[in-house]
Amino acid sequence: MRKKLLAIAMTVAMVASLAGCGSKANTNTSSNTATPTAAAEGSTETSGSETTPAADKTYKVAMILDSSISDGGWGAACYNAMVSAAEDSGFETLYTDGLTTADFTSSIRSYCDLGIDLIFAPGNQYTDAVKEVAADYPDVKFALLNGTVETENIVSILPDAQQIGYMAGALAGLMTKTGKLGFIGGMELDTTKAKLANYEAGAKAVNPAVEVFSAYAGSFSDSAKGKEIADSMVSMNDVDVMFGDASAVDSGAREALANYTDRFDIGQPSDILATQKSEVVIGSVVTDNATMLKLCMEDLKNGTYGNKTIYGNLSNGSLSVGTFSDKVTDDIKTKYLEYIEQIKDGSFIK
Amino acid sequence: MDFLNMTFLQELLLSTVRMATPILIVALAELYSERAGQVNIGLDGIMAFGALAGFMVCYITGNPYLGLLAGAAGGILINMVYAFCTITLGAEQIVYGMAINIFAPAIASFIYKVYFGISSTLAQATLMTPMPIPFLSKIPLIGPVFFKHTIIVYIAYLLVPLSYIFFQKTKAGLNFRAVGEYPKAAESLGINVVKQKYLACIICGALAGVGGAYLTTCYISTYTDGVVSGRGFIALSAVIFGRWMPGGVLIAALLFGFTDALQLRLQVLSSQTPYQLLAMIPYICTLFVLAFFGIKKAGPKANGKPYFREER
Repeated sequence: MRKKLLAIAMTVAMVASLAGCGSKANTNTSSNTATPTAAAEGSTETSGSETTPAADKTYKVAMILDSSISDGGWGAACYNAMVSAAEDSGFETLYTDGLTTADFTSSIRSYCDLGIDLIFAPGNQYTDAVKEVAADYPDVKFALLNGTVETENIVSILPDAQQIGYMAGALAGLMTKTGKLGFIGGMELDTTKAKLANYEAGAKAVNPAVEVFSAYAGSFSDSAKGKEIADSMVSMNDVDVMFGDASAVDSGAREALANYTDRFDIGQPSDILATQKSEVVIGSVVTDNATMLKLCMEDLKNGTYGNKTIYGNLSNGSLSVGTFSDKVTDDIKTKYLEYIEQIKDGSFIK
Repeated sequence: MDFLNMTFLQELLLSTVRMATPILIVALAELYSERAGQVNIGLDGIMAFGALAGFMVCYITGNPYLGLLAGAAGGILINMVYAFCTITLGAEQIVYGMAINIFAPAIASFIYKVYFGISSTLAQATLMTPMPIPFLSKIPLIGPVFFKHTIIVYIAYLLVPLSYIFFQKTKAGLNFRAVGEYPKAAESLGINVVKQKYLACIICGALAGVGGAYLTTCYISTYTDGVVSGRGFIALSAVIFGRWMPGGVLIAALLFGFTDALQLRLQVLSSQTPYQLLAMIPYICTLFVLAFFGIKKAGPKANGKPYFREER
């Protein structure tokens, strides 16, 4: 009997410790949620000149994520975009990461119940969950990154996968010496498939002789697998420039490339070389999700939310070329930037 | 079929050994645990915590060997929660194993975020350098595949015969197994069942923690949430697959490593094939082998049952 009581006490203690983590984050959806204090500090300020209809209300934005916000790739970039957009627009931020596919809907639903104004779903994979919940909560607004849905309360943010693919492909095509390129995908999402196809097309437009090899890790976090894939691509196919759409898996791939000489990788969606030194990364295709998310927040405040897709491309500055490494010669750089101009005005993309 | 040359074969086998090692270490951890009647399905969680502990210590001290030790210590620490609840309190082992799987990765993720913050790039630590064994590593094909690894790989493979000798040939091993088969009889012969079970949990925690730390100190030099990616569960199935014998566990780990290495290469070779089909190969192989060889002799008889001394 005493043991049973002790067991119950232990269980209560464990649950309480989990709940303790949650309450710190003003939410009890998951054990690993937290609110960044930095964003909360700026929450009461409204941005400068414009007057908002409800200036006294503190808006809240919440993000859900299947990988981790500290994955050094997609998750981190999206999270930082949300925080920076929220700071400018005076939103409070919340997030839940490490979700499994089965938890998408319930997690979004609990945020809706908590009275969150805007839910940021950073990826194509959340489309079904967002559509399902959005129908039940007409007052909550949803921003779906890489989405293709437009309803009363869902706005899609769509960085141009064609341009991203072409930008990476052109640089890869210019840099390759062996004529063999590699691509690693995390999951076979529509945007990933589009990036791969356009990466190949972009590289072939620059250098018709190139061959592109691709593989999927089936995960965004298994960096060990990324290393194995990159290793096998280099040793089997003599691949010398790689591009990836798989977050932490890409950093594993970079580690494999670092063991060889003159094997390069192109980063995305943040500007990798701006914050880190690398022998492997030669440049980045930068996506500025913050600006696009800010447009959503402005719409929400002005009461004009819904029924649209915010496109991100080179022309509106949402896509840009990142820092180059010294491995990229001035010659190649000039040529590449010319191609970028052509991608921008559409004459390069066939 | 020009790709089927020596280099391809050598790279494939090398990759097999690399990918099988963490699974082997963790499967051995589970083997020790289950031999004492402790089914621990929390391996994935212990690995995640071990991976973090190993990475942090390696990052701070710059010494991957200390990282491995820290991984072992972290693994023991987490597994003691499981041990206390299931052995001393006699709680359901599966439930607490599952609790560890939820609890440990979350705490690892929390510590990582507090310490490193959220940056657009991952923190990098030093990687353990391989230690080629002189002469043996010069043998063509076999040399690089078997004798050009980090020290932990050699230890993992040495543990297989050592565990076999321990379980089958020593009195201590017999006592260990007796606890998993029929704890009442073991107790009546003067074996301290509770102590033996705790010992099993310490070995399990240490090895599973090392398996996790192997990922972040010997395989890749970064930590991300989800770096374990279900390897703990594969190790769990490797124990059943290997029929609770060290040799069987080794074969299971190698088969899984081989099929996984092979499917990655097949993906690169034929981009036209849907990758999901190829990614299934390791799991289909497992199913196939299990179906054909079956489990005629199930594992330790008292496996998964709580032990109460006073009960008749």
